Amino acid sequence: MSAQTQIQSQSAKGRDFHKLGPVWNVIFHAMAGIFALMCVFPFIFVMIISFTDENTLARNGYSLFPEKWSVEAYSYLFKAGDQLLRSYGVTIAVTVIGTVIGVIATALFAYAISRRDFKYRNFFAFFAFFTMLFNGGLVPTYIIVTQLLGLKDSIWALILPLAVNAFYIMILRTFFSTMVPDAIIESGRIDGAGEFGIFFKLVLPLALPGLATIALFSTLGYWNDWFNALLYINTPNLVPLQSMLMRIENNMQFIMQNAQNTSLSVGVLQSMPQDTSRMAMVVLATGPIVFAYPFFQRYFIQGLTVGAVKE
Amino acid sequence: MSRKKKGFIPALALLMVMTIVLSACGGKGGAEGTPEKPVELIWYTIGTPQKDVDKVMAEVSKYTAEKIGVTVKMSMVDWGDYAQKLQVMTASGEAVDIMFTSSWAFDYVQNARKGAFLQTDDLLKEYGQGIVDTLDPAFLEGSKVDGHNYGIPANKELPAQEVWRFNKKLLDKYNLDISNVYSLESLEPLLKTIKASEPDIYPLAVDKNQVPYVPYDYVIEKLPMAVPLNTTDYKIVNVLDTPEMKQILKTMHKYYKAGYIPTEAATLDSLTDLQATGRWFTDRATTQPFADNLWSASYGYPVVSTPASEPLIYNWSVMGSMQAISANTKYPEKAMQFLNLLNTDPVLRNMVDSGIEGVHYKKVNDTVMENLDESKNYDMPTFALGNVMLTYLNTTDPANKWEEFKKFNDAGTKAPLLGFNFDTSKVATEIAAVNNVKQEFWAALMTGTVDPDVYLQRANDKFKAAGLDKVMAEAQRQLDEWRAANK
Repeated sequence: MSAQTQIQSQSAKGRDFHKLGPVWNVIFHAMAGIFALMCVFPFIFVMIISFTDENTLARNGYSLFPEKWSVEAYSYLFKAGDQLLRSYGVTIAVTVIGTVIGVIATALFAYAISRRDFKYRNFFAFFAFFTMLFNGGLVPTYIIVTQLLGLKDSIWALILPLAVNAFYIMILRTFFSTMVPDAIIESGRIDGAGEFGIFFKLVLPLALPGLATIALFSTLGYWNDWFNALLYINTPNLVPLQSMLMRIENNMQFIMQNAQNTSLSVGVLQSMPQDTSRMAMVVLATGPIVFAYPFFQRYFIQGLTVGAVKE
Repeated sequence: MSRKKKGFIPALALLMVMTIVLSACGGKGGAEGTPEKPVELIWYTIGTPQKDVDKVMAEVSKYTAEKIGVTVKMSMVDWGDYAQKLQVMTASGEAVDIMFTSSWAFDYVQNARKGAFLQTDDLLKEYGQGIVDTLDPAFLEGSKVDGHNYGIPANKELPAQEVWRFNKKLLDKYNLDISNVYSLESLEPLLKTIKASEPDIYPLAVDKNQVPYVPYDYVIEKLPMAVPLNTTDYKIVNVLDTPEMKQILKTMHKYYKAGYIPTEAATLDSLTDLQATGRWFTDRATTQPFADNLWSASYGYPVVSTPASEPLIYNWSVMGSMQAISANTKYPEKAMQFLNLLNTDPVLRNMVDSGIEGVHYKKVNDTVMENLDESKNYDMPTFALGNVMLTYLNTTDPANKWEEFKKFNDAGTKAPLLGFNFDTSKVATEIAAVNNVKQEFWAALMTGTVDPDVYLQRANDKFKAAGLDKVMAEAQRQLDEWRAANK
């Protein structure tokens, strides 16, 4: 982007309508820069803490420039690491499978209710929309998932509850009905394509930016989900990364609240990872998902429909 | 299009019927509860899930199938998640037979009143005789809710006794004598010495959860309603109005000003950092026999302690660890038989606690065992799994450990409110308001951060405005009823 503007400003000699005055330029850059720093800083801080020596941390507290650095936390995590690797595996599997299922289901639903010639479109639109206003609440949901669907302690309990989100359906429906002109669908029909042909060959390629948005949302949703695991998963083998982190945090908090309980605090404290190891886990848990953004970003600029239809 | 649409509804209906049928198939049938055809008990308990639970439970099941015709499936739920998860599970009527409960996780009294647990008065008489015989009567008496038992307390330390803990390195260095220490005031000369010569050390380590010890029994932990320990008329008073509390808060404030207490005490979540680095001299804790050894081993340097109160049996100490039978169990008798066996049979109890002999531990002699490497896959919280006095000693434990526990339990006297549980449902709004006021003042007052002469009055005014008097009146009414019923 910046390269483009540079070329533009070079080619348009003299006055450039897009150019800001130097003062405003500096101010805006500074504002954006400060905001960016505010977003990045906590994460950098966590990284620094994860590389701090444990004893130094206990003595001096958190510091940007620790007296003594150490990679002890990471080596501890990787040594005791089969739980960590397993959780990584679970999280990645859940994220990938879940995103694929979620995007397919959402796209199919949204496309159907975006078509004006579908008789029950209003009913199904409302059917989805209704769940945004009301939901059954925790206990009924739990009963459905564990007793009716029998998903307790199964990886599907982490995937299915998050697969379809009414809000994403609404986004995608709007996207389909505004970005994919009826004329294109009609042209497909004239050329002899069936409903599925039109959907897969014409509509989906045009809707890539919309799909990428949904996919990104849903990837993040799956990656960061810990609550479903808290409810439905007992086997340590199926605990995803975020849930593992959350358990450790909850345990720490719990022990602090019950510090006067001797048998509890002595017994449990020993099994707790130390401060630096927890930070190292945060780093390891957040790291990979950062790469999801550039992956999806390239789809945002694709699929432009300008010029496809002449009105 | 239209053909597809027609197919949709029946297909959906079929799918739903299938799921119902399939999930119903999960149930069991037939004549049950014999060694040939045992029933399965589902047991939820607290603790970080261990790898070898299923393996150990398979062994346990072999043993229990033979003895009482049950097999056991244990699920562990991590410490911090336990209360929330069990709440949802009991609310949804999930199949659970036995579950851990206590005063500090998945609250026993509250859930007993909600009907999560089976009332066990008759079951205890019929199938739990072993439990009744082994437990100190105070356990069963103290864990009654509205006159009935809903859970089986674990036989462990019964009273709670406050102690002052000391960092022994510093005691030795300055040759300090702790034999005369008992009250908060008696600590002063020691604190003074440490403050004068060790600027990096916190003389009196206090965090925001600490409350100075006063001889009162609280109706609800950490809410300012209590009766004096030596009460005869059982009149509930506002602790903040009592001379003892006023005096001790003054002393705390004095210590705070003198710099004995960490300046950030009122916001300090925990003392773990101090304990890890050893930068503390003394603090207060609840003890049990040989606690000094536990603390020393856990911190990595010697810790000694001396009493700061009498050993007293409180509700919360009795309910420290319990196993309850779920209200929707299919096999109440079997569950009670199992709990009875768990609390009386050393073979079962030790299998549940330490795993499989020869795999997770080996025996040194009849009562002592040694953990093997595999025990890292089966590291259970001993105190949460029933009678601890049946468990084998570790090689590092003193031989008379359980005798000392018994002595300690015998020495305990009953707190006045033992067995009385305040039902807060009628004053829930007031309790919430009182709790808010507590959030505002409690930590600052109790750590000595603010001057009690000024803030005690302010706190009391706000407590009154929040409806503390109404709560106290209701508590008093229930207490009087309880006393009349228990005469």
